[in-house]
Amino acid sequence: MGLLTNLRDSILRVTDGLFAADEPKRIGIYGPPNAGKTTLANRIARDWTGDAVGPESQVPHETRRARRKEDVEIERNGQTVTIDIVDTPGVTTKVDYKEFLDHDMDKEDAVRRSREATEGVAEAMHWLREDVDGVIYVLDSTTDPFTQVNTMLIGIIESQDLPALILANKTDLSESDVTQIANAFPQHETVPLSALEGENMDEVYTKIAEYFG
Amino acid sequence: MPHQCIECGRTFSDGSKEMLSGCPECGGNKFQFRPGGTSEPSTDPTPQMENSSVGLSASSEASAPSEASAPSEAASSTDTLDPTDTTESPADRSDTSDPTGSSRDTPSGRDATDDTESASDRAAGDAGEDTAQASARSDVVTPDELDRASREVEPSDQDDATEPRPDIDELRDELNEQFESIRIVSPGTYELNLMELYDRQEYIISLQEDGRYVIEMPDAWGVDEE
Repeated sequence: MGLLTNLRDSILRVTDGLFAADEPKRIGIYGPPNAGKTTLANRIARDWTGDAVGPESQVPHETRRARRKEDVEIERNGQTVTIDIVDTPGVTTKVDYKEFLDHDMDKEDAVRRSREATEGVAEAMHWLREDVDGVIYVLDSTTDPFTQVNTMLIGIIESQDLPALILANKTDLSESDVTQIANAFPQHETVPLSALEGENMDEVYTKIAEYFG
Repeated sequence: MPHQCIECGRTFSDGSKEMLSGCPECGGNKFQFRPGGTSEPSTDPTPQMENSSVGLSASSEASAPSEASAPSEAASSTDTLDPTDTTESPADRSDTSDPTGSSRDTPSGRDATDDTESASDRAAGDAGEDTAQASARSDVVTPDELDRASREVEPSDQDDATEPRPDIDELRDELNEQFESIRIVSPGTYELNLMELYDRQEYIISLQEDGRYVIEMPDAWGVDEE
């Protein structure tokens, strides 16, 4: 699978170079675990293609492999923006199988999930290095955004000069604090939303078209 | 010379490859490290020199030049001196109750030497253990000695004391540099160095249970990157 993926990606890279103007931009959905990345990816995919990207879960690290949804056409203001969405595993600096034991999982499954999640983080970081043209950074607005992971990832994204849209997710929850997210990264625009409830998706799509069109 | 064969005394410069296949002189494969040539073997005799047969020579050979081994080893181990572990040397067995410790104005390395002695003694078995060694194992170090031991180590750290503390970001960067990209703390528990994962061209695609991991080498397929 690695070989095939590698070959396909290589071919895609070559074609990207040839038809750069016409190819859809590949937008990575990044963020810490359980921020709602897959929920957002599914929301976008369902809204514009009718299909989902992957299963959502309350359990952290449900997404352990980057999943791509290609040719998502988003219409805004009479124009169409086509993007490829890459839903990436949640990025973290530590993965411990014990955190899965609370989610009705036996030790063997938890250890395997932990290993796969670690591989997923490695994959997500690799994608960030060379395979994405823009980033949607999803944060859980009920949690403190001042973390090493967020600071480091936003720093990498900025150093790459990638266009980045920061989303403050989970505004449907009472503990949501969008201001805290906006204050953490004042150099970027922050858009509040609830991917689960579909709140404020109009503005999200407008910003996606603006940033990545 | 930083390295010395403890069999024949031949010295080697730091980084010498000669010693990698054993001492070319005598074929010995035990060497000691002597930083900066600071310790001249015969300039610093200590009272326990007469007991040196229980020292390093236990692990080397009886024919090894004992006057060269003990002091230099002491000098090199001073930095790692653990104050809680500084039991009395054999020569001090009758002085352990002396609160002033006035009879022990010997070089700082002595206690460290005793550490190596007791270690090598243990390795060599109980043969030749005398009352001094028994005393060294059983007696408790006095607070006065602890204080003195800690002060004696300080001069070697004086550079650190005068230099300004490094910036926390620099420190973090330095630590990040040293970390592996993925550290397996225990099965199912991993620590990840995100910068390292981001920076490396290879792509880790599979972790194995035994700590190995499989990487995808972008160049292995002859594909031009960019």
